Amino acid sequence: MLPLAALFVAFFAAPLCVLVGVSLFAEPEMTTRSLGQYAKFFTDPFNVSILRDTLWLGVKATAVCLLFGYPLAWICARARSPWRSVLLFIVVLPVLTSVVVRTFAWIVILGRQGVLNAALLALGLADEPMRLLFTEVGVVMVLAQVQLPLMVLPLLTTLTRIDPNLADASAALGAGAWRTFGRVTLPLSVPGVVAGCILTYAACVTAFITQTLIGGARLIYMPLHIYQQAVGANNWPFAAAISVIFMGAVLGAVFVLNQANRFGGGRIYG
Amino acid sequence: MNAQVTRRAFLAGSVALGAVGACARTSGAQAKTLVVATFPGTWSEAHRELLAPYFRKRTGAAVIQSIVLAQDQIAKLVAAGGARPPFDVAMLDDPQALDAVKQHLVVEYPVAKSPSFKELLSQFQDPWGPKISMQVIGIGYNPKKITTPPKSWDELWQPKYKGRVGLTALNSQLGIAFLAELNRLRGGNETNFEPAFKALRELLPNVGAIGANLGAYATLWQQEQIDIAPYNFNFVQTLKAKGVPVELAMPDTGPVGWRTSLHLVKGAAEPDLAVQYIDSHLAADLQAQMLKEPYDVIPTNGKVPLTGPITQAVAKTHADLARIRSFDWEKLNPQRGALIDRFNREIKL
Repeated sequence: MLPLAALFVAFFAAPLCVLVGVSLFAEPEMTTRSLGQYAKFFTDPFNVSILRDTLWLGVKATAVCLLFGYPLAWICARARSPWRSVLLFIVVLPVLTSVVVRTFAWIVILGRQGVLNAALLALGLADEPMRLLFTEVGVVMVLAQVQLPLMVLPLLTTLTRIDPNLADASAALGAGAWRTFGRVTLPLSVPGVVAGCILTYAACVTAFITQTLIGGARLIYMPLHIYQQAVGANNWPFAAAISVIFMGAVLGAVFVLNQANRFGGGRIYG
Repeated sequence: MNAQVTRRAFLAGSVALGAVGACARTSGAQAKTLVVATFPGTWSEAHRELLAPYFRKRTGAAVIQSIVLAQDQIAKLVAAGGARPPFDVAMLDDPQALDAVKQHLVVEYPVAKSPSFKELLSQFQDPWGPKISMQVIGIGYNPKKITTPPKSWDELWQPKYKGRVGLTALNSQLGIAFLAELNRLRGGNETNFEPAFKALRELLPNVGAIGANLGAYATLWQQEQIDIAPYNFNFVQTLKAKGVPVELAMPDTGPVGWRTSLHLVKGAAEPDLAVQYIDSHLAADLQAQMLKEPYDVIPTNGKVPLTGPITQAVAKTHADLARIRSFDWEKLNPQRGALIDRFNREIKL
């Protein structure tokens, strides 16, 4: 435990303290201390709108992930032994390639001359190429795909742990498949849903690469905002202050999700 | 961001290179190594393929590349805070070179120790770090879609290019240079950027995409997501070599550009080797090699005659090179942050 704690202090807690320290300087030259950077952030509606857009983007991408991830996890959990491994491998496969490569592949898929638009035009579903690249819809689609394993894996773990006898018991007592799902399987899988949502949400809102490559420079989210302030404008204190605020906001969201878990869990076991 | 994306890839690359270098250091005899900064893409390739062997022949020392964008180099040198810097030779563009001198990150170049320095054309003889090349911007276009080469920046505003124009964010040198040139052409100056922003707002219906970084920008051309956009001579050459349909046209208002320089970093571990390395880059025979395709690096040494694609697109003579307009970075630099901020706020859908 001790080496782990030392590692945590040296490589996580200490840099975090430096970050907070830098954010408390009034100007880029870092001479006087003040809370000015935080005031600057919250008094400017532009900054606040970026924070709001980023947190909301995470909600949308996580919702899409859950929508596609839950059935996928359920199918995996129900599959028989050789198939389960195959499905699991397919789910994990995207994680084995770099997120940069995956995101660039999506540029090829979503572009004007891309696979998706070519298919839509060929099928006569659209008259002109749809704008997907550099739109929020595109970012949500790609984030959902890129982060899907983070949703599926915790869900799969939870679903496979649910005793199959419970579903049989429910059926024996006269409940249909949907009723069994709604009253037994779904409530029991709440911890998996919450764990998956926390992981996916945190990954989606901080996904610098996917957000910037698919969103372009016109859609600004917090990670790009931080990068531009730190490297482009050389304003480290402001970049540090935005980072601290962003971290606080994401932690807040995770806390809320955790509360949902308690609430959901309490209802079943209590 | 490309910055970020490529930085990762490059980090991996540099670690690999570093590992190779470390092995060479342990297994080889007393061969010294020099750590130098270079830019991602063709620059790092040209330096690896041509400059490093040239330098090795001259000094017997090996080169380890640290592939970092100019702004990130400044950030790294600042972060090192006077302790041993992460590289001995910095590679910077005009604006960052000014910053580096101002922040005492680089030292004065020992001109006396560098025989090739006096061969440079006068505008490239900077005592704080000799200029090794120029980057020139013009109008990039897709010759498959646009058959008559554009003649003026104003063509970007033509309604027929609705949704087909590309831009890059202002964190790239290309973005800020285009903004400054546009501002000048529309009657603005270094203290008043309203004309440029007004023009960009009017351009918005035509803008199909704004690349967050240069890597993403290259992809836009490759995927034919955009047909016409400000672009940089060397990037066009690189993409053309890869079979991407892109050409560069010079606007009738003349080419604009900025210079790229090498600098001796303050507190360098191998200052003498660093000077040798920089001098190698100034040598006429090396610059003549780098001018050849596929690198097309614009030379700064007066003894290198201009040949190849550069004479069609950029400059036919050394006098033409001197006429390429530059910007007043002394005045532009302090506004960079504010301009990026304004661009983010105003240039949105």
